[in-house]
Amino acid sequence: MRCFFARRAISRAEDRGTKLPQWVERHAGRCGSCGDYARFTASLKERLAGERPAVLDAVPEFPLNEAAWAAAGDRGAQERVPRRRFVLRPLPAAAGALVVLAAGLALLLVALREPAPSAQDRTAALAALKSFTAVPDRIPGVVTEAEFSLEKERRILEKELSSAVEYLQARLNIKIERREPRGKST
Amino acid sequence: MADQGPNAEKTDDELAREARAGSRRSFEELARRYKRRLFVYLRPRVGSDEDAEDLVQETFLKLYRNIGSYDPEFRFSTWLYTSAGRLAIDAYRKGAASKDKLAGESAAELPDPAADRDRDPRLSGLWAAARGLGGDRFRVLWLRYGEDLTIDEIAAVLGRTKLAVRILLHRARTSLMSIAGPSPARTIAPAKAADARGARSG
Repeated sequence: MRCFFARRAISRAEDRGTKLPQWVERHAGRCGSCGDYARFTASLKERLAGERPAVLDAVPEFPLNEAAWAAAGDRGAQERVPRRRFVLRPLPAAAGALVVLAAGLALLLVALREPAPSAQDRTAALAALKSFTAVPDRIPGVVTEAEFSLEKERRILEKELSSAVEYLQARLNIKIERREPRGKST
Repeated sequence: MADQGPNAEKTDDELAREARAGSRRSFEELARRYKRRLFVYLRPRVGSDEDAEDLVQETFLKLYRNIGSYDPEFRFSTWLYTSAGRLAIDAYRKGAASKDKLAGESAAELPDPAADRDRDPRLSGLWAAARGLGGDRFRVLWLRYGEDLTIDEIAAVLGRTKLAVRILLHRARTSLMSIAGPSPARTIAPAKAADARGARSG
């Protein structure tokens, strides 16, 4: 089990380019197979990189089909031309123009169907306007009405209060004098 | 083909940017640089050298057609191997590579490491053993050690998570050691050998 973790740690250190943890170093020093794995892993990059040129030299020589790239480039260029002219294709362009024309005509017809205002309509409209302008004349009346209502409320309250005072005077045998507001005393 | 012309000194990413801007010469130089590398990557996935060559051709054709969609933020090799992998899968699905042909990925049909050594003294048979590990393990080793891609880039190429790539790499290394044996002392760099000795004594 310890060997399993030690080898994983050796691989991790190799992948991250870091030093081996101390416990792994100690273990690799004692355990022959883990020591072998540590040395093998440490030397692998150098060994494989060293053999790489020979591996590549052993690959059979074969030409690259550069003509196919040229053809692909030409075909690509040819394909791009129609894409640029896509908007100018006659059928979609004609269809688009027809749609715009139909929409314009429909709008025009709707606008033409609306009848012109008659003399009666004009009179009604003027009357409505006058009713708006007449509103300020009624405002003083509305204010007076509101003031009257408040005055009435004040009188009721005053009456109830004087009645309560009379009751208290009779019950407690005292005299309560009415004091006028400061502004009024002068 | 020897390195010639002004493009030979440019980096892959510079060439890819020029190719994206419309330079066919730059694309040709890129293709020249990568065709063998791509062949090695794709060869274990198909049954014959001819099929691998066809896939290489198809990959470059696809890349040339879509060069406008190349994002210079990423390495060209990542884009190349991603496209190649997808094309290989498409080819398999279309039946271009039959099941019999794909059996070629098994170790039994691959060259013997010793035969590799006989052909070229630079070879120890390690890459031959790697090919013998099978599809994913060979691919991950090639991308990591043959192409020097990062774990993130390999994950993007293979369409896997980073964790899956790390696990795959770990298994590939373990399997490779069991096939090829521990590293011979002569291939370990002096500093690393000293480290290893230190580790043993400690």
